[in-house]
Amino acid sequence: MTSLAQLFFDAAALGGIYAMAALGIALIFGVMNLVNFAHGEYIAFCVFALIVPSTDAAAVMFLGKAPALLLIPLILTIGALVAMASEYVVFRHMRKASPVAMMISSFALGFIIQNALLAVYGGRPKAISLWPELNTPIDIAGASVPLLQLIVILTTLAVVTGLAALLRKTRIGLEMRAAAENFTMARLLGVRANVVITGAFALSGALAAAVALIMVTQTGVADVRMGGHIMLVAFIATVIGGLGSLPGAVAAGFLIGAASVLLQAFLPLDARPFRDAFLYTLVIVSLLVRPQGLFVPNSAKPRV
Amino acid sequence: MKHLLFAAVLAVPGLPAVAEDITIGFATAKSGWLEAYDTPAATAARIRIDEINANGGLLGQQIKWIEADTKTDRAQSAKAGLQLIDGGADMMVVSCDYDFGAPAALAAESEGMNSFFLCAEDVKAGIQGVGPNSFSGSVLAAVQGATMAEWSHARREARSAYVLLDTIIEYNKGICRGFDWMFPRLDGAEIVGRDTFKNDDASIASQITRIKSLPEQPDVIMLCSVIPGAASAVRQLRAAGIDSLILNGSAVDGSYWLDATPDLSGFVVPVQGSIYGDDPRPEVEAFNKAYEAATGARPASSYAYPGYILIDLWAKAVERAGSVDGAAVTAELEKMRDEPTAFGPRTFTPELHHQNYAQMQIVEITAAKPAVTDSWTISEPVPLDVLLKR
Repeated sequence: MTSLAQLFFDAAALGGIYAMAALGIALIFGVMNLVNFAHGEYIAFCVFALIVPSTDAAAVMFLGKAPALLLIPLILTIGALVAMASEYVVFRHMRKASPVAMMISSFALGFIIQNALLAVYGGRPKAISLWPELNTPIDIAGASVPLLQLIVILTTLAVVTGLAALLRKTRIGLEMRAAAENFTMARLLGVRANVVITGAFALSGALAAAVALIMVTQTGVADVRMGGHIMLVAFIATVIGGLGSLPGAVAAGFLIGAASVLLQAFLPLDARPFRDAFLYTLVIVSLLVRPQGLFVPNSAKPRV
Repeated sequence: MKHLLFAAVLAVPGLPAVAEDITIGFATAKSGWLEAYDTPAATAARIRIDEINANGGLLGQQIKWIEADTKTDRAQSAKAGLQLIDGGADMMVVSCDYDFGAPAALAAESEGMNSFFLCAEDVKAGIQGVGPNSFSGSVLAAVQGATMAEWSHARREARSAYVLLDTIIEYNKGICRGFDWMFPRLDGAEIVGRDTFKNDDASIASQITRIKSLPEQPDVIMLCSVIPGAASAVRQLRAAGIDSLILNGSAVDGSYWLDATPDLSGFVVPVQGSIYGDDPRPEVEAFNKAYEAATGARPASSYAYPGYILIDLWAKAVERAGSVDGAAVTAELEKMRDEPTAFGPRTFTPELHHQNYAQMQIVEITAAKPAVTDSWTISEPVPLDVLLKR
């Protein structure tokens, strides 16, 4: 039977991916009340940036050829740039729009990015072999854990602590927290709105890029639709974590990952195809019990 | 002028002047994700059309084709179907996928017109899901699964199998259904475990954990999935050190995704014909060359072939019926028993407008190189009740 350690690592690794994606969404929601549904497309965009643009069936590595030390910052920068560009082109003009209008425009933006990828790269999924050696399993505490899973878990922890430090110790972090508390008041007190929002988008985009690198290393494929599922899970994580709460998004991301792995491990075979139905039933239950979210910040009350 | 137009409109149905040519309508995706699958098969269909035209045409007339973009959208598919009917189509070729092809096929069906799915492999793509004049050019998914079961048992001494089903589309369930029907019937063979996953799962770590906790690794793993999920599953299985022979349906054919798992070996795919230039039948390679001449590249997967086959079969039935009338052509198609084509014999019956057995080439990938290693026809057609079982 499956060992406890194995379950823990499987759950933590999946949860880590979800948590990182959820964090990207929560960051932007915190500063401008926008649920950015284009986030999944940022992920796909970063994955496709690894290969040469072409509609040929076989993919040729482009940026993906760069050594890891260069590639990681490069892709993170690309993610940040895409997110910042979308803020500059789309969301900056919608500061005064209602959250619903912004959400709809984020859907539209996602559509545009996805279709641009389709036009440039074609509809067929592509294979990308990025760092295949990271999938080699190693034995820890009786569990067989791919190196990548460990990296995911450690990266998530590092990102979360790094972000916490950034939010607590730096000026931009202070401004972001202030903006998340009460944006209008923060502006009146001299918080630089554009800097805060652009910064949040950059961080969010970089997180999407990190998710992209993990996904592509894990699965070895690039598909224009690959961001959709993870975006959905991440969005749900931000909701049950409490919209606007960064620690909440992270905790809920881990929670969903863990629940998904446990359901996969313990559901009887006939019920296993309906794993996600069970998972989302749990989400509904969680929302019924705590409609404001599991880890709700005080600031969320008047806004949501 | 108005009157003249009116008269012309009135005259059209009675006047065969328009029918100087036979028109085939293509309601296929020219944009959206399905385009990558529809275009190769539609191109293959047009290659066959050009060949027929070069040989003097059909019923003494040239075949011309018109097209409408379904945009990988169900509603657009219905619209495209109606548009082609208005455009004077005599027969309709619809998208590869049942869900996206059916709306156009239903439009054709309501006109009593023949429709052919480019490469749908679900039993619904035909009589069961559209109506009596609808056909598919491809081989049922269940046949692919059954072929894998019988071949691996006979040629690779597979006695224990693990079934890994990706529940995202009906096609995958079809492959597993065929495998589940055939494998336990074979001498000494047993399915030792099964599990499910979803194509877009970020990780299949828990499924792998379950396989690894088996007392003994299975001889074969029947992977019922499609790209990209299949590529991702294989990468994770191999990385985890699971070395069992991996069996698949035709949908993972093509070397374009092999980079996902470096140096992949022990991976087997049943196909209607080989795109790798090593098909034992010269007609298949001749087609590959014709395809390359037409598009500048060889087919990326064997899913181009059904497009060629369906035009070939339909044209033969039209010749025999002496008309393009849906019911008459259907009657001729249903008389076909092991009708020879470049890609092996094909059969249609009044119960099934699909192949429930077929000769398949077995392509094995060894050290990232795909090659035909064998050819196999299942000993018994997959029964209709197995196909229809939900």
